[in-house]
Order: sequence, then C-alpha cells, then structure tokens
Amino acid sequence: MEKMYHNLPVEAYTSQDWFDREQRQIFSRTWRYAGLAEDVPEPGHYISVQAGLNNIFIVMGRDHRLRAFHNICRHRGTQLIRAVGKTQKALTCPYHDWTYDLEGNLISVPDEATEYPDGIDKKCLGLKPAAVDIWRGMIFVHPDPNPPSLAAWFGEVDAHLGPHKPEELLEYPEARNSYEIKANWKIVVENYIDVYHLRHLHSNTLHMYDHARAEYGWKGPHYHFWEPPSADYGKDLEQNLPTPRVIPALHVGAWVPMLFPGLGLGASEDSWNLFVITPLAPDLTRIENRTKLANASSWEFSKQGMRSSRFWADFGGGKYAEHDARDADDPMASGDFTAEDIYACEQQQKSLHSPYLEIGPAATGESPITRHQQAILDFMGEPGE
Amino acid sequence: MTHNFHKLTIAELQPEIDGAATTVVFDVPQHLAEAFRWQAGQHLTLRLLIGGVEHRRSYTISNPPGARLRITVKRVKKGVVSNHIGDMMAKGDSVEVMPPFGGFLLTPGPLARRTHFFFGAGSGITPLFAMINTVLKDEPHSVAHLIYGNATAKSTLFKDELDALEHEYPGRFSLRHVQSALSMWSWYRPWRKGRVDADVIQAALSEVPPIAQDVQYWICGPGSMNADVKAALMAQDVPTDRIHMENFGGITEQDTSVEGCSATAQITLNGTTHQLPIAAGQTLLEAMRAAELSPPFSCQSGVCGACRAVVTNGEVHMRNRAALEDSDIARGEVLTCQSVPIVNELKVQFT
Repeated sequence: MEKMYHNLPVEAYTSQDWFDREQRQIFSRTWRYAGLAEDVPEPGHYISVQAGLNNIFIVMGRDHRLRAFHNICRHRGTQLIRAVGKTQKALTCPYHDWTYDLEGNLISVPDEATEYPDGIDKKCLGLKPAAVDIWRGMIFVHPDPNPPSLAAWFGEVDAHLGPHKPEELLEYPEARNSYEIKANWKIVVENYIDVYHLRHLHSNTLHMYDHARAEYGWKGPHYHFWEPPSADYGKDLEQNLPTPRVIPALHVGAWVPMLFPGLGLGASEDSWNLFVITPLAPDLTRIENRTKLANASSWEFSKQGMRSSRFWADFGGGKYAEHDARDADDPMASGDFTAEDIYACEQQQKSLHSPYLEIGPAATGESPITRHQQAILDFMGEPGE
Repeated sequence: MTHNFHKLTIAELQPEIDGAATTVVFDVPQHLAEAFRWQAGQHLTLRLLIGGVEHRRSYTISNPPGARLRITVKRVKKGVVSNHIGDMMAKGDSVEVMPPFGGFLLTPGPLARRTHFFFGAGSGITPLFAMINTVLKDEPHSVAHLIYGNATAKSTLFKDELDALEHEYPGRFSLRHVQSALSMWSWYRPWRKGRVDADVIQAALSEVPPIAQDVQYWICGPGSMNADVKAALMAQDVPTDRIHMENFGGITEQDTSVEGCSATAQITLNGTTHQLPIAAGQTLLEAMRAAELSPPFSCQSGVCGACRAVVTNGEVHMRNRAALEDSDIARGEVLTCQSVPIVNELKVQFT
C-alpha cells in the first residue's frame, strides 16, 4: 500500500515523477511572481523568469505598459534574451540575428532573400505572448496569454493581506538574499504555514507576536494568517518597532500569508517581506527573500532604532542553550528563526526515504498543512492526466 | 437591436455650461425598458419634424447603464436640431427615439482588471462620461484616467460631476484638464495649457504609468483629434487593437476619389431578400430608400454606425468609415450610407 503523509503519498515529496507533474500542472498553469514593479523601471528594460516549464520575459514598451513573451526564438527555439537588461527598440536572437520588435513582431531575418528564396512569412513568426500584470507592487506572469485576471485569482484573499502598499516602500538591499534548502518545496510551504511550530521551534525567536491569538484561513488555494503583538511587545509597540512604521497606527500585528503556489509574504507594522519558493528538484528548493521598509530618512531609522533598542537588547536567543549546542554554527543555537526553519525542513526531508517512516496525526495548528495538500491534489487532478 | 422609433416623454430638460448645451432626460415606460437597455458609449437617434422636414440625429447617452436615460446636446452654430432642442423643447414633450445602439462601447467586467485612458474634448466627453462611470461602478478592480480638452473651464461639460467622481474614487479615477484659452481673470489653472496633442499624451502616460497592465485607450473628440491622438499613441508603440474611438461633432473628411459604378445588389433585410439596382454614384442606403425599403440609418455621415451591414459578395468603396474599427472592416462590415459599389454585383446582409 502507498505510504501516506496525511493527504499526499510520501512519494509526492521525493519522486521525480511528482516533481515533473507539479511543474506541468501547477507551476505552468498559475500566475507566477516575476519580480517587484521597480525591477522594470523604464521603457526598454526587461527581466525574465521561469514559470514552471516556461521561460518568460517581460519588457516595458514606450507606452509604459509591460509586455510578456515566451523567451523562445521562433526560428530554432533559442532563448532570446538573458536574465535582465535594457534594449532600445528590438530584441535580437544571438544565433542567427533574427530580430523582434517590442510587440513581439519578427521584423528582420538576415539574408532573407538568399536564405529563404521561396519567401518567409514574418507575420506568422512573432514571439508567443504570455500574460503580465502588477498587483501589490509585484509583477506576475502567466504562460497563457489570456488567463483569468489577477482580480479573479487573488481577489478574495486580497482583503486579508494587510493594509500595506508595497509600491510606496523602499527595498532594503542588504536583506535581499537567496539560498537553497535541501527539502521538497511543499515541506518548505508546510513549515511556513504550520501554526503549531511557532511556539516550539521558534520559542525564543518570534515571541513578539501572540501565536495563541493567530487568525488564519483559506480563500481558494491561498492561505492567510494574522496574529497580534504579544503583551510584552504590544505594551509600548510604537517604541518597540525596530524601524519606522509602514502602515497607519490603527493597524497592528503580523500578516504572513502563503499565496499559491509558494509565494510567502511576511508583513508587519514596520516591514514588508517576500519569501519566494522555487522548486529545483524533488529534494531541493530555492528561496529568494526581499524586504521593503518605510520610505523615511536615515535619521528617522536611527531614531526608531534607538527608541526600540531597550526591547531588543534582551530579546531572543537560541532554542537550545549553549551547552546543548553542537558547535558555534548550530542553527538551534543561532537565535535566527530562518536558520531554525531551514534546519527543521532538511531534518524532515532526510526521513522521507526511511522504511520506518510513519507520519503521526495532524494537530489543530497543522490544519493548514492538510489543506495545502488538498490544494495540491486539486491542481494535480487525476493521476496520469 | 431594433430600429423602430418609440415615443418617449421628456422628464427633465436643463441647460448646461451657460446654455451652450442641453441635458435631456427621458422617461422610459416599463414596456420599453428592455428595448432601451444600453451599454456605456452607445447613442440614441432622435427623429424630429422641424418646419415640416424630418431630421435624424444621434446623441450619445451620457449616463452609465442603470441610471436614467439621458443625452447631452451641445449647440452647434446654426445647427437646426441642437438649437431646436435647446430653445423649443420642454419637459413633458414627446419625442421619437430609436433604441440605443453603437459599436463604441465599454462592457464592464466585475473581475476585469484594466487601466482605461480616456482622451476627450468638448462634447466628446458624453460617451466617455458614461464609460468612466460604468468602470468606477461596475468594474471595481480597474482604474480610469481622463485627459479632457476644452476651450475654458466655463465651457467644460460635466465639470462638477467629474470633480465629484475624483473625490469619490481617489485611487481609481484621475482627471487632467487641458485648456486652450486660459482666462486672464481667473486664478484657475488647468493641468496643461493647449490641446490634447502628442506632448500632452506622453506627459499623461508617464505621470500615471499603468498598474493594471491590460490597458485600453478610448478617444472621442471633434475634427481631427481622434486621428491625432491615435497617431500619438501609436508613436508610443500602443497596439491599435487597444485603441477605441468615435468621431464626434465635427467634420470628418470624405474620400470621394472613387465615384462608384452601377450595380445589382441582393440585399437581405429583416429576413427578406430583395434584388435592386444601384445607379452609378448612388450609395447603398440611397438605393434602398429609393426602392422603398426601410433599412436602418441615422446620421448619414458615417459616424453613428446605425446603417452597418456586411458585404458577403463583391466590393464597395466607403467615403467615410469613422464608425467602424479595422477589425469590423476585416469582417466585411460596411456603412451603407457611405458605400458605393465598385463591382457590378453585390450581396449585402443586415444582421
């Protein structure tokens, strides 16, 4: 009998077959985060992104509208452009210099008369369009040129994501990083949405928020989560915030949703963070983090840093005391909640191949995990589809 | 769509911009409510007998669907109908009105997420005003930006209503006034001086770059404004299938370079097929009326689109095609009031 991990077979977390089917059925059929709006700041700028099986590039036209195309030359299929860049009016494939305008029209075929003596219909050889849109300061692409709108996709969950306006905040470049976790992408998602673990794995790192009063739920495949400040932190909240506020003072707490598939947000009174999950292999996942903070002067940042320093001086520490730690790099003694999460994900993945693995019952605070597994099943449809 | 006239009663009639325009609100009786349902951007045709002569005019409905049936008629110098409406008509009068139609329309989608740019001038605001209202009310995930040209603040139609909309929908509607004749006696300064031209368009597009990336451009103004705005947008690489326009209240040049030949036409109208001759230089509409058929028509200048039909066989020359989009023409649609045959046999189908 197939070994189960709640709603999914354990194999869903380990096999190449599941990985390939998820790439087809989930990541090639949904809106994919492609970057922040400011990543394509002016006409001629472009970026590219992998959306499941599709490499898609996004370019801004002179009318300031974004266009998205499949990054495939219509001649021999060569990827047309590199990751990021700026062009004036045209995109040229490096292989045979076929050239397209920013509307995707094929405008030049070198040596056309001699190489194609019978003629070539350039009109039928334009780049294949994809869909692109901007929502909450983020660019999204969809491989299908006419997908359901972002309003249809995110409309219902939108009201649960906090009052933040990311487009008005400034990126904090030092916080931008990317790393790999040796675990299946769903293990990483499940860790992100597991309410039960907050009080335990992060007993000493995230207790400025009151996990017992968390409110969470689902809108379609999207998970939303909010929790209020803990009593200690909330007592002098305005003083304790480490950086200047980014939302009106009547709003407090942390909003930590997980948008399908694998786009985590983490927003609080004073910051807005992205946690982008990209599956690389059945047991390997890339994470990209970006942070935005208030558009305020460095003097205001220093002032708020000073005001809050007393609270943070005594805050936190490792989960394990130093005498229990393995060595100086032990994530369990790091006092860094991200290191704690990575450690937990990788330790869980290690056991998935063991013949003695048997998953215990899901706790109340783990209900988001079983619900996310159901969302996966909904997208995967019947096996073999 | 029916092209029969119905008698409607004027429920309200009031002057606008110091009497230079007239707003007329019609009562629609219950049994005509279905026939008089409209989409933002569509127009009404009025049939009036003035001094014993029949006149037909099309006026855009200046309210969004769901509101009261309303047109706003700007006076045209020496204009027979616009001045008759402004001077002679009153509340309670009965007018012959054809149900709404027109292909320049904005159909709102409750889940559509679009950025709409509206470029209007003078009385060209009327369809845009209905469209803006319908976007704000019935397309909640979309935004609208209006770039609006007028001579002066005083001659600006719907100025107060537009200000109120900007106040009511601060994140979703922006308003940019462009005025050609600034008053020395007022402190009021519009967003830009001059006309809605290429510079103004470029400035607007870079001031409010679209967030929602499904961008649509709607143009309605007099004279050459539509063609000028369209050219300016295309110079910024806006694809033509995103540009929608209707010529308004001005002269559109007629292309009379082709005279047309005599022909025999097989015309299917209201399910019946008629065989009739067309004389050289005669339009399809003229030939049909001479043969005592009752084809739909209204403005007879190629602007309103009431007389559109599909040529399924043969070819015609259109003197003016303002009411048709390129995609309509690709489907074989023609304006019968503007079409002269250039081959001797035609087949024409009214839908």
